[in-house]
Parts: sequence; structure tokens; C-alpha cells
Amino acid sequence: MNRLLVSVSIGLLCLAGTALCPAARADEVTVASAGPLSGPQAVFGVSWQNGMKLYFEQVNKAGGVAGHTFKLMQLDDKADPREGTLVAQKACEDDSVIALLGHFNSGVTLATLPIYTDCSMPVLEFGSNPRVTQQGFKNVFQVVANDYSQGKLPAAYIHDTLHLGTAAIVNDKQAFGQGVSEIFGKNFAEIGGKVLSTSFVNPSDVDFTALITQLKAQKPDVVYLGAVMPQLALFAKQMHEQGLNAKLFMPDGGYTDDFITQAGADAAEGGFATFQAPPYDSSPELTAFAADYKAEFHGEAGPYSAYGYIMGQIVVDGVKNKSATRAGLMDAFRSLDLKTMLGPIAFQSTGEIKNAPLFLYQVQKGKFVLVGHS
Amino acid sequence: MTGLVLQQCVNALTIGAIYALIALGYTMVYGVMRLINFVHGEMFMLGAYVSLGLLLLAGHGAGGAGPLLVAGIMVLVFLIVGGAGVTIERVAYKPLRNSTRLAPMLSALGLSLALQAAVQLVCGPAPITFPSVLPSERLEFAGASMTLTQLGILVLAMLLMGGLQLFVGRSRLGVVVRAVSENARTAALLGINVDRAISLIFLLGPGLGALAGLLYASYYGVMTPTMGVVIGLKAFTAAILGGIGSIPGAMLGGLLLGALEVLGTSLLPIVTHGYLGTEYRDIFAFAALIVVLLFRPSGLLGEQVSEETMVYKSDY
Repeated sequence: MNRLLVSVSIGLLCLAGTALCPAARADEVTVASAGPLSGPQAVFGVSWQNGMKLYFEQVNKAGGVAGHTFKLMQLDDKADPREGTLVAQKACEDDSVIALLGHFNSGVTLATLPIYTDCSMPVLEFGSNPRVTQQGFKNVFQVVANDYSQGKLPAAYIHDTLHLGTAAIVNDKQAFGQGVSEIFGKNFAEIGGKVLSTSFVNPSDVDFTALITQLKAQKPDVVYLGAVMPQLALFAKQMHEQGLNAKLFMPDGGYTDDFITQAGADAAEGGFATFQAPPYDSSPELTAFAADYKAEFHGEAGPYSAYGYIMGQIVVDGVKNKSATRAGLMDAFRSLDLKTMLGPIAFQSTGEIKNAPLFLYQVQKGKFVLVGHS
Repeated sequence: MTGLVLQQCVNALTIGAIYALIALGYTMVYGVMRLINFVHGEMFMLGAYVSLGLLLLAGHGAGGAGPLLVAGIMVLVFLIVGGAGVTIERVAYKPLRNSTRLAPMLSALGLSLALQAAVQLVCGPAPITFPSVLPSERLEFAGASMTLTQLGILVLAMLLMGGLQLFVGRSRLGVVVRAVSENARTAALLGINVDRAISLIFLLGPGLGALAGLLYASYYGVMTPTMGVVIGLKAFTAAILGGIGSIPGAMLGGLLLGALEVLGTSLLPIVTHGYLGTEYRDIFAFAALIVVLLFRPSGLLGEQVSEETMVYKSDY
């Protein structure tokens, strides 16, 4: 009796399986995204991927596009190049994955690009190091302004608006931090500024007091810090505690409220950060996006959430125009011309983004305020 | 110039005092059990998380706790994390005491990963802002400056280390600990309760580590689930530098490692005209460690290890 029941139910399951499952799955395509979902940078990686999730859910709810619904495969690269190559392999070997959104950090992308090229995976890249698009890979597209603009804007602002002449540079020797601070130094020297010193710290360092004491003796007008959170906040706090009264300039990683809470309001005050997106209250579309995000995830949109959202848009647009395959999307990205809430998006033949905007913020009375843009 | 040197001394003493507090935990456990307690870095991390939990409970999660409350919280954190240390010893090390010496070490490594993952699951992987429990006013003197937090860390660390030294050197329980550390089997023959001595070590070591975690998080203003990894390694280095197994050695090693790091940061770029930048700090510090160990293999204040004592100790 029991055996009969079991075989009947197995038979029923099979029937149901063949009847229902393929029908529901045939049109579902997988898009992988890799970024830091654990570790100190997790807060950025998670809110960035939430942006993608939000867009895919909206598309799926509306019945999909061109007969396809979208599933996001979230991969954790821990912001570590070694971990990155492992998850890259995983995404490559899964045939249902049609595109990869990431990695979040330039250093991780640089390590993984050869793997993605071998499996012809189109990569929408989020790290901003210019070397990403300079290596001749045909499958990589950089969605954000690269570090040339990020190094340039603060240099011009310091020289033309603040009329200050000397800078000390500190960086963490990572692909992103060192790259952006070198570009800053080059630009600053070209327009007549003087770089007093370049110092390096280790990416796991928390104590900068000894270095700050040395910098204090050099009396720079400005300190440019090419690093990521939480080091940016730790450095700002220790700078303030030691009374180093230089203006602090940071790349995009510093544009987060965590910088203000972790450094403390006093230490954060007056700090500058460049960022690739305008404030969420600067246009109706962005305001609506921030509201949708809050309704879905019960928290404020992260600084990169809007980019996650438009990266989702780029993929869906590609599927609509070409096909839901790796090769189809590669073609689609090359000829992309998409209007988004962050402006029109198109790529140059190298994979670099055309006309990427960049914004400069300063902490004033405990809040980031827009002070300049390019 | 004097201001600069003085300032660097302040910086070195602050970070060195924290290293020393953590190094004590490594060295005490090693002295008694010949075990490198890899979970100690996580005790340090737990200290910070438990402290913030208690501060939140007391309604001062954003800072502004009075000195009395801070003192109370320090005692509680010491007891809670010390208790966790004792439990860990009972659960993870005691059953392995008669197996090979690698087994408890692996157990420690596994536990360290488990604790990190657990804190990450409960509190999230992102860095959490830690309020300053000590006032952060700045004192200026002779061209250098020192925050009250730094001063507090120094004074507290010195008091704690002095207290520990007195406890181990003068009290009856201290004699028990020293006897077990010298030779556990003979101590047992003389009627000493070895288990109790080991429990005591696992209360004191992690407790001090937890207080270091509280001071550290309050000084730097943030804590993360992985904060114990790098600093644990540094403190372990400090313990070896001073001579693992020796309590004054751990204190000396911690302060010395702090001084070496600061020296590396400030002098390397000047001495080499920029060829070696500040990023070579750790290489400089570890090179110094190698030199010390070449000439004194048992560390600066470590016991001279002879063939004979090795046999006793490895027997344990």
C-alpha cells in the first residue's frame, strides 16, 4: 500500500514537473552580479545589488521583456581578487548566466577579466580604474566615470576655487586607491599645484597616527586620500584628533553617511568627496527611485543603488534589442543608447562610458552638500 | 623637532599598550598549556561588541556615558568575555588535552572562524560606529598633542598590567598559576587543582583581551567582525618578541612592536630618501623580530629553553 502511494505520488510529481516547471522556467534568464557582500565594504555591495534586484523585480512583475523574466544571481567576492576569480569561474560555468554585472572593485575586475573573456561573458564593470578598459578586452564595459575624471575634478577645484597650492597624497596601494591618487597628483602638478609627498598605507591598517604626525610637519593645504571606507573615516578622525588642519579630499568611497558617523561629525566636517551620481533629491526620477527602494528594502538607498538599477536596465534593454544570450548582449552593449535617470548611457569602442558626469560634495553641518561638478 | 619625536612617542605608546594587553592573553595561555590560542583575536573583537551592547542597554549607545558607568561596563565585559573564554576552554580544548598538540590548535582556528561568522550573522558585516567612552579633548604640550582617550588607554593598560603582575607574583592564586605553568604534573601531585588554574587563565586572558577591544574600538571609533584578525596576529608577534610564556615579556614586546611600527613609518622614507615608503612598516617591524629571534630564540624575556625543560613541557 505504502509503496503504491509512493510510486503514485512520484508519478504525479513527474507529471506536474514536466507540465509546470519548464513552462515557468523556459523564459527565465540569469544575470550574475559579483561584489563584496561580506566584509567592510559589504554595505556598498549589498545596496548596489539591491538596485539591480529592484529593477529586475519591476520588470518581472510587469510580465518580463521579450518573453523573458530575470533572476539575479548574487555572488560574494569579498572585495578580494583571489575570491573574485573563484566566483568568476562559477558564473562562467553556469550556462544559464547571460551577463555579469561587476565586479564592484577595480582590483577584482582586473584579476577576473581573462576568465570572463575565455567564456565570452559580457561584463558590465563597476570599478573605476582606467586600466580596466585599456587591456584590449572586448567583453568589458565600464558603467561609471573612470578615475581620470575623479582625479581631475578635485585638482581643478583646489586650484581654481579654493586657491590652495600644496597637497600631500596618501593611498592604500590598491588598484583603485593608488590609481586615482596618482591621477590626482599628475593633474594637480600640471595646473601649478605642488605635491609635497606621497605616502602609502596597507589596506588593513587602522592606525595612521604616525603617518599623520609626519604629514603635520609638512604643513600641506590639502590631503588627498586614495582609499576606501572604513579607512577614510579612520584617517579623518585621527587627522582631526592630531590637529592636522589640511582639507581632506576623497574619491567616491567617502560619499556615504557612514563616513560622517564613523569619523564623528567634528572630524568629518569640511571633508570633500567626489561621486558619480547627483543627490537623490535632485530630480523627480531619482526621488521616485529612492522612494521605491525604501518601500522594497526598508532602508535608505545606498550611494551606488542607482547605478545598480541602471545596470539592470542596460541588460534588459540589451535582451529587448538583441537576444538573451551572451553573444547577443555583447552586441547590444556595443551599440547601446539608453536614456536613464543618470543621463544617457553609451559606450566607446574601448568599453569606456561616453560623457560620464562627476560631482563634488563637501560635508557641511554634518551633511554632504553638492559644491561642484564636471 | 622635539614636538615631532614626542608626538611619535605618544602614538607608539598608545598602540603598543593595546598590543601588550592582547599579547598577555596569548602568553598566559601558552605558558600554562603550550597552546597558541588562535581564538584570542576573537575575544578582543567580542569585547568591543559586548561593550557596545551593554552601552546600548544602558542608553548611552551614542556616547556620553559617565565614568562610573564606564567602569561598571568594563567589569561586566571582563566577566562576560572571560566567562566565554572559560567555556571555550571547557568545550573546545579540555576534551583534546590528551591528544596531539595540533588538535587543540585546529580546534582554536575553527572556533575563531565560527565566532567571526556568528558575529557577522548577528550584527552584520559592516563596520559599526563605536562611541567614545573616554572624553576626546586634546591636550597640547611641547609641540605635541595627546587626546584624553590616548591618555586613558595608556593609564588603564598600565594599571591592568601592573595589577596582573601583582596578582600573579603575590597572590595565592598566582602561585597556583605559576606552579601549573612550571610543571602541571608535579603541581597536580602536590594537590593543586590544575583544571581550576587553567580556568583562571582563561578568565584573565580573554578578559584582558576584551578590555583591549573596548579601548581599541573607543579609540578608533569603529568595530568590525574581522577586527581581531590583524591585531591578533600583531599581538601574537609581540608575545613572541617578548618571549612567549613570560608576562613581563608580553608587555615589553607589545610596547616594542608599537615603537618599531611607528619608527618604520616615520624614519623609513627619510632614511632611504623615499625609496622605501611608509608601506614597508610591517616588513621593518617583522625584520626586527627576525633579528631578535636570531640572537635570542626564546624572545627578549623568555626562559632559556634547554633540552631538558623541553621534555618536561612537551610531555604535558
